[in-house]
Amino acid sequence: MQWAILSGIEGNLAAYEAVLQDIRQQRSPVTALYALGDVIGLKGDNEAVIRRLQSPRPGELDPQVCIGWWEEQCFSLHGLSGLPDAPELMAQFGGDGVKQLWESVSRESVRWLRSLHFGFHELDCLLIHGSTVSYADELTPGTPAIQLCDRLLRADANTLFCGRSGQTFHLKIPEGAVTSTVTTLDAAAQTMTQTVRDRQIVGVGSVGKEPGKATYTLYSPYTNAVSFRTVRYGTQGKGFGAV
Amino acid sequence: MITVVAGPCGAGKTTWILQELAQMPMPAVYIALGADTVPIDATRVTARFPQVEIFHHRPEKELLQRLAAEVPIYFELGFQLETDVPLLEARPHRRVALVAEENRDAGWQLWADEVICGNHSTLDLQAAQLWRAPLTGQVFDPPSLDEMLIELTGGAYGNVHRVKGIFELPDGRAFHVDFVKGLPGIEYTELNLPHWRSGRPDRFSGIEVVGWNLEQETIAQTVRDGCLSDGAIAHYQEQYKALISDEINPEESVLA
Amino acid sequence: MKLAVISCIHGNYEALNAVLSDIDAQKADQIYCLGDLVGYGPYPNAVVELIRSLDIPTVQGCWDEDIVEGLNACECSYPSQLAEKRGRLAHEWTNTVIRPKVREYLATLPMTLRLDNLCFVHGSPNSQHEYLLPSMDSFAALERVLSTDADVLFCGHTHVPYVRNLGDGTLTVSVQRPGKDALETQFKTPVKQIVNVGSVGEPRHGRPNATYVLYDTDTAQVELREVPYEVAKTCMAILEEGLPPIFAWRLARGMEFAERADDPSHVCQR
Repeated sequence: MQWAILSGIEGNLAAYEAVLQDIRQQRSPVTALYALGDVIGLKGDNEAVIRRLQSPRPGELDPQVCIGWWEEQCFSLHGLSGLPDAPELMAQFGGDGVKQLWESVSRESVRWLRSLHFGFHELDCLLIHGSTVSYADELTPGTPAIQLCDRLLRADANTLFCGRSGQTFHLKIPEGAVTSTVTTLDAAAQTMTQTVRDRQIVGVGSVGKEPGKATYTLYSPYTNAVSFRTVRYGTQGKGFGAV
Repeated sequence: MITVVAGPCGAGKTTWILQELAQMPMPAVYIALGADTVPIDATRVTARFPQVEIFHHRPEKELLQRLAAEVPIYFELGFQLETDVPLLEARPHRRVALVAEENRDAGWQLWADEVICGNHSTLDLQAAQLWRAPLTGQVFDPPSLDEMLIELTGGAYGNVHRVKGIFELPDGRAFHVDFVKGLPGIEYTELNLPHWRSGRPDRFSGIEVVGWNLEQETIAQTVRDGCLSDGAIAHYQEQYKALISDEINPEESVLA
Repeated sequence: MKLAVISCIHGNYEALNAVLSDIDAQKADQIYCLGDLVGYGPYPNAVVELIRSLDIPTVQGCWDEDIVEGLNACECSYPSQLAEKRGRLAHEWTNTVIRPKVREYLATLPMTLRLDNLCFVHGSPNSQHEYLLPSMDSFAALERVLSTDADVLFCGHTHVPYVRNLGDGTLTVSVQRPGKDALETQFKTPVKQIVNVGSVGEPRHGRPNATYVLYDTDTAQVELREVPYEVAKTCMAILEEGLPPIFAWRLARGMEFAERADDPSHVCQR
């Protein structure tokens, strides 16, 4: 049993198809498929990707999809959450980006996206787009160690899978400790040492961001093995193949 | 055999009867006088011993049948009631008084066949007020209920000597709550009843407060402020249902 | 330099006056205020005017924000339905009596203030609504201080004062990326400190006395101060102003008007 965890399709149907093909070819069968947000974007056919996610073909896994940064921008444009008029989107992609996103997702699809969850707690794992702090929280190996530790604690999970950065990485915190001494009005100083042990954060990669190259993650919950897949795909009969 | 139990407010009459019932073969009959529309004690007794018959507004004839069948009958007198009960006249019965040493005046000694040590009572019967309200169908926001009880028993709404009640919580459980001035803390006991998880519970719950200078309006308002709306109840019940189906089928949980 | 740090005055003018006298007697050089000047108590205007007249650097608290922005706290800010109803009553009352100039002033307050290696916030560096309780996970607490780049983080909001030293912090992190060798790094953190200064006007440590903190920037000494004041006066004013009598009852017992939230680390996503 293993899970396939991906993020950032960004409307790139060819990339998603390539990943599905790679999943089918796994010797050890994939038993669950998670899409950690950003299924829509500016570069592809958002409606086609949404339809594909909504209606898996016979024998395919039903993808479990949660909300990402792009979906939140879409909700903001439709006045469904957060600030109106998607200021984050405006700042990063300008008026053209706003117009394109508005036109490329139907109202019906927005409603469907709105019905998705913010993340999934599964066994001792949290699967989410950013972190429990925010959909925009971008965790990378460069994030300060204490902040990563904080995100794991907030996630209340041993393993945190996230997709915001688009990077593939496997970050482990084998151990840590901190000593805390608290003094109050009514009690003398009390000291305790707190430890943290064997937690991990996995960046699951990005399916659609880079043309011709999709990355995603396989995870075996019982052996705790993480492996990254890179799938090259093209439109001119190069065929699919994992590297 | 009829056992009549009397004692000051909060002496522990129902608790004593529950102890007796626990030691004897069923069935038995329980009668609480004066509880009317707020039968907190009777509900507590049935939840613990479903086989015990509660006699409330039932014909005297039926009671006599039980007596003839030698079913033990427990008669709990309210603290504010006279100890003369017409039904008991000319029928043999055992009189038990639960009274603390400090409260034992000649009256109790004279009336009772047996005086057992109960909780001490500082209630001035002349000034005592009784406020009670049925709450059937109401479900409480648990932290609000806690806060309300802390304030009420702490004296925020008058001098409170005794609080007892049965309260429904959104997870479907019902609790018996017991407070007697001078005893430590507020006692919460879960009632052995099915968890009510669809709509407003259609079973008795209610509150009774005994004390003096009670601000009854404010107490009622604070109790109301802790009650959940239909929408909130439905929301909680849905969450608990999802939680249970998760336990049965632990596939995954979602962050909503 | 000797600093006095005060917080959570909540319209309690009597308490503020007593604390300011104590600060005078202690010969502090500078006062900082961590917000929540208004809300619940009977003298919101007078409190703000006094703070302004003394030019006390002040950050914005969650109550100050609500008076400026309108009450839009999500229900998660309240620990119970009862507390929420009371909070609304207090908000509405404050909102009607507050003077326009006072509201304008509250709107200008910053979220954080800095002084050398010290940082001042109301709740936490993340949010005015986050509670830094002494029981908070040590790593999470350390993260809050480190995120400010300061050595000492002053906060209020919980209404119970404490000092927390976070030392000997170590964290081992190993990173594995596809096609690369695993890289292991050891992090060590210097001693950091969280100082919760308690509450002037709505103490919750079980006694009605006002609390605040003295801090010596030269010796890094922290002193938690507890100052008695005429609680009865504030209680009378609460009743006279028509605020709920339960506020007076709780104030006189050091219980705070509304208990704190169940999930202290929950950050409202409004």
